[in-house]
Amino acid sequence: MKARTQKFWIVFMLIAMSVACVEEISFTTEELVSILVVEATITNENKVHTVKLSRSYEFEAEGPIVESNASISLESSQGSISFTETEPGTYQSSTSFSAQNNTDYVLRITTNEGKTYTSQNTQLTAATEIDQLYAEREVDDLNNEGVSIFVDSFNPNGDSQYYRYEYEETYKIIAPLWRLEDLIVINPEWPFCEVQKVPKEIEQRVCFATDTSNVLILGNTSALTEDRLERFQVRNIRRDNYILSHRYSILVRQFVQSRAAHTYFETLQEFSESESIFSQTQPGYFEGNIRSESNAEEPVAGFFEVSYVSEARIFFNWEDLFGEEPIPPYISPCFEFAPPRDLGHPTDRCGSLIVSLQNDEVVFTRDNPAGGNEFEGEYFVAAKECGHCTALGTNVVPEFWIE
Amino acid sequence: MRRKVVKLLFIVLLSVFGGSSAWSQEGGLTVSFQETPMQEAMLQLENLSGKSFYFHDQWFGDSTVSASFTNKSLSEILDSLFQNTEFNHYLLDNSQLIILRNNIIYDVLPDGFFQKDSIVEVPVETIVSRSQPVFNATDKRREELPIPTLRIGKDDPNSNRSSFILTGTLTDEKGSPAADVTLFVKALGAGTTTDKSGKYRIELPKGNNLIETRSLTYANLKKRVIIYNDGNLDFELPENLEELETVFLEGSARKNVEDATAGVTKIDVKEIKTIPLVLGERDVLKVATTLPGITTAGEGSAGYNVRGGKEDQNLILLDEGVVYNPAHFFGIFSGINPFTTEDVEIYKGNIPAEYGGRLSSVIDISSKDANVEKFAGEGSIGPVTGSLTLEMPLAKGKSGVLLGGRTTYSNWILRSLDDESLQNSEASFYDVIVKFNQEINEKNDLKATGYYSRDAFSITSDSLFNYSNRMVSVQWDHKINDNNRASAILTNSRYQFGIEFDGESNTDFDLNYDISETGLKVRFNSVLNESHSLDYGIATKYYVSNPGEIDPINGSSIASLEIQQEKALESALFISDEFNVSDKLLLSAGFRFSIFTALGSREQNVYVEGLPKNEDSLVEVRSFGNNEAIETYTGPEFRLAARYLLMPDLSIKASFNSTYQFVHTLTNNTTISPIDTWKLSDLNIEPQRANQVSLGLYQNLKDNDYQLSLEGYYKRAQNILDFKTGASILLNENIETEVIQGEGKSYGIEFLARKTKGRLNGWLGYTYSRSFIKMDSEFSEETINNGEFFPSNFDKPHDFSLVANYKMTKRFSFSANFVYQTGRPVTVPVGNFVINNSEFVLYSDRNAFRIPDYYRLDLSFNVEGNHKIKKLAHSFWNISVYNVLGRNNPYSVFFVNEAGEIKALQSSIFAIPVPTITYNFKF
Repeated sequence: MKARTQKFWIVFMLIAMSVACVEEISFTTEELVSILVVEATITNENKVHTVKLSRSYEFEAEGPIVESNASISLESSQGSISFTETEPGTYQSSTSFSAQNNTDYVLRITTNEGKTYTSQNTQLTAATEIDQLYAEREVDDLNNEGVSIFVDSFNPNGDSQYYRYEYEETYKIIAPLWRLEDLIVINPEWPFCEVQKVPKEIEQRVCFATDTSNVLILGNTSALTEDRLERFQVRNIRRDNYILSHRYSILVRQFVQSRAAHTYFETLQEFSESESIFSQTQPGYFEGNIRSESNAEEPVAGFFEVSYVSEARIFFNWEDLFGEEPIPPYISPCFEFAPPRDLGHPTDRCGSLIVSLQNDEVVFTRDNPAGGNEFEGEYFVAAKECGHCTALGTNVVPEFWIE
Repeated sequence: MRRKVVKLLFIVLLSVFGGSSAWSQEGGLTVSFQETPMQEAMLQLENLSGKSFYFHDQWFGDSTVSASFTNKSLSEILDSLFQNTEFNHYLLDNSQLIILRNNIIYDVLPDGFFQKDSIVEVPVETIVSRSQPVFNATDKRREELPIPTLRIGKDDPNSNRSSFILTGTLTDEKGSPAADVTLFVKALGAGTTTDKSGKYRIELPKGNNLIETRSLTYANLKKRVIIYNDGNLDFELPENLEELETVFLEGSARKNVEDATAGVTKIDVKEIKTIPLVLGERDVLKVATTLPGITTAGEGSAGYNVRGGKEDQNLILLDEGVVYNPAHFFGIFSGINPFTTEDVEIYKGNIPAEYGGRLSSVIDISSKDANVEKFAGEGSIGPVTGSLTLEMPLAKGKSGVLLGGRTTYSNWILRSLDDESLQNSEASFYDVIVKFNQEINEKNDLKATGYYSRDAFSITSDSLFNYSNRMVSVQWDHKINDNNRASAILTNSRYQFGIEFDGESNTDFDLNYDISETGLKVRFNSVLNESHSLDYGIATKYYVSNPGEIDPINGSSIASLEIQQEKALESALFISDEFNVSDKLLLSAGFRFSIFTALGSREQNVYVEGLPKNEDSLVEVRSFGNNEAIETYTGPEFRLAARYLLMPDLSIKASFNSTYQFVHTLTNNTTISPIDTWKLSDLNIEPQRANQVSLGLYQNLKDNDYQLSLEGYYKRAQNILDFKTGASILLNENIETEVIQGEGKSYGIEFLARKTKGRLNGWLGYTYSRSFIKMDSEFSEETINNGEFFPSNFDKPHDFSLVANYKMTKRFSFSANFVYQTGRPVTVPVGNFVINNSEFVLYSDRNAFRIPDYYRLDLSFNVEGNHKIKKLAHSFWNISVYNVLGRNNPYSVFFVNEAGEIKALQSSIFAIPVPTITYNFKF
């Protein structure tokens, strides 16, 4: 709806006698320094907690710039816990601890430049556990079939209401064209162009891949009569996604948020998802709960949260939901082809098989009895991930994995 | 300026004998009379001298003359003939000779008549008068007609009244009311101006008074009125062909200096005829934006910002009825038909107490009264619209009806565009106005206006937008007696928009919004005495708003939703007094007491006081029965103004103005859009209020030819509505949780120089103004830009306008507009950042950047048909080029993400010169 109502501006400009004009202009943004971005969620879990610091970056730039050499401390009536940088931009608490109820926590950051930033007093949010995590086969409004991961959560006291979810999904990958042998290059120089079949030394048939959520998943019960989330969808996987093919596991972490934190993330999400290019909606900088001590007007991104977290994990197999139905297509089509090994005279060069193997792009699948000329090689190969599952994941079975 | 030298004519009313005339005559005449009747002698002399003689043929009776002259001057002959008679003579501009009885005409002034220097034609001879005459100074103009003397009323010997009221109606030769004509009696320093119906009312001392009229449109007249009692004097004003196209009305010229009200702008539709047009549309409100203090957010954006106020803070009245969104085509054209409009008055400083309910201004648009004598019409054919206006008398001299309509034929433009998706789109609008006026009798007048405008546009084949304004007003004017008048005005207005979506998926819907108001105002005017004139009355309005309703259509899966209806009653008592403290000091004191009551039936959320309104602070949901008062707000409003005349043509004015506003538009767009909704104040949304002080200097130079004004103002506003960043507004059931109410601050200095007459006329305006908003709270979600004042979306510090019109001949004229404005503030994304693996956009502080400056030059050439009265139709061609310089002025700035790279783009509406030709005709 929103995008649609804004569309008329397009026409507006076009109908204006077709003399309207859209052109690129440049804004001078050089005066703007990059701002500090704080990613800090302390939870009730007893563990080493992590705070990440980075800086905002220009559009043209790649990825976040980490903020190193800062000193971070978490202060409360129970004392001060310092954080040390374990890798650039990532700071870990010196001890394991868990956030306590009814305690005011303040996050204090001093950057390398000597600027100090302090969060507002923040308390642990109310405790609400995930009641149930479950997967269901579902067909959505647009007729897309898939698997939805739902959360049910209930707080009888009604004092949670705002939730943020993160997930970590792990799935079993079985390389469809896995073979006992690999093809390796012995001598890549012409006229040798020598390859050899050798037995595999490592497990490359069954692997496990893990992905973490990279979108904000926010839920709230504020518009509902009770603090109950029912069938809240944290993840939807299309039926044709290969990660469902064998066995799939998802760990969902539910963070109970403060209303302020929730509003903050909701707004960030809204401004970054604006589809309409002609949007005239008033955007703006949106303040979190971290402020610069040295300059109250300096913008800071991020929200310091002290959240009650609960997590749940489920496993399911393809057959559990889809029975005997064919599994989804593999991530790559796995066409077998036989690239030439030796291009012969007068080219006097080895074929693309040699280069592809050297670059670790293809894997051996079977012999090609018809091959052996400058057009076709003696071996069929396929894309690497078709035979080596390690191209997609790890061959180590995760600790939590239950078959 | 045609008359460079002030020529003064002095009439001695006493019977003075003797003296001599004061003109010389080079050429000699030879004539002899033998017992010739005096009258015949005069006629002979008239023939011989080739001059026109003016005298009364009964004056001379049977008297005869016998004399013989050889090579004598006319003056010598007349001196000789008139010796020992009661006659005098006076030669006016060498071609007219006036014969006077008992009077003598002096063309030199006694010492001390003027306080300061004045230009007086130096006489060849000097009169030495034996008796000191009594002088009544009158301004003489060349085109003046002889002065008739009229007796009003019968002398009542028992009356001891020293002054009487003269009323009447001025009409043109066709019988249409002559509005804005100034009537004044120079000797008294008193005057008045006719109203829209041509009516006037003036208090005159008993006896002899010389009334003069001044007007742009009509010839200047003098009437000698000997008044013995209250009475009526209607008269016709001949059209002043000489000055037909002069731009400014002199009638209101002195108002500039003499009125107590500061910050009022008047636009007469006749003035703007030659101004260059956008796409051939003459537009009264667009012209207003070339005057200081009135701007729009962008080229072609609807809504006006008056002295740093938001678009919703203007009370736009058409014949006293509110029009919510008088804009077509998103604001490229205004919804006000220029051909049916008489004038527009914009109160941006001191608002009269009878108006209220908006913070920043009152835009008072008056339609023409229909010609009650004969059928008349006017039409216009432009590239985008066509318009026709008809005036029809219903009962001759008593009542008439005015019909005006405009429509667009712009669809062909869309169809001719290359873009395939737009070829199926449409954009159309029309507006119609009907006005009926009737003079029931001498004491009662009735007027009724109906207005309807509608826009419809579809952008894609699946959505259709429409919006419409409806307004009806009925006004009854009643004259209780000479000192008391009353008016009753009944109005009804409605604004509505709708969106119909019919797409391919199952999400078709129909969305509707409307607000209506019905109002009654009764006002009285009482003239208590010479120094006090009271205006007072009562007004009440009933609002009904349906804030939004969505329904599925074509069996779609959209859930029906209807936001609760809102109702309210807004009433006010008002009184104002114009108090003439002295000749120099005029005070205008107005007081308005507004009461606003939000009415049920509704459910209202109650929140914890002092906390942001949200689910956390929700205490209860309270239900109110039908018409039960939900919340009542009262607002005392003061409208104070003072004028002090430093010199007769130089005044200083100061004013203090306070206003309340109970209805607000909800918009989180940076510019106004037709789908912004209006929200009534209730339990959770407080009324906006503002205070403004202003101080100005006003000077008219060279006989009101040049008008200069310099005004400064400072305005503070409370409870200005804004929204939390990223709020969703349409169909929001708890809109109060998204609203932030903050402070507004604006100040500015406005300079305007107008040249009102002559071949070259026009105006030059420069405004330096700032407009700020502050949203501060202890809660960050209700804070914008750290709670500091930041520039509003329409903060354009420098605003320069030049409008010039050069009349080459009576038929050809040339006009130019030049506008320069600082670019408006915008919020731009300045970077990206990552939190929890998600990438977000970082925006600058609100309005931290500005789009490039705006400037534009428009030119137009106007050809007037000839002025023969008997011609079937008068025609007028306007050839305009808009944006001659082809300046690519940005209308909006937006950002696109192209392959991960965010680009800033600007869009312009009229990026190249746009030529248009418009043909107007009048019959």
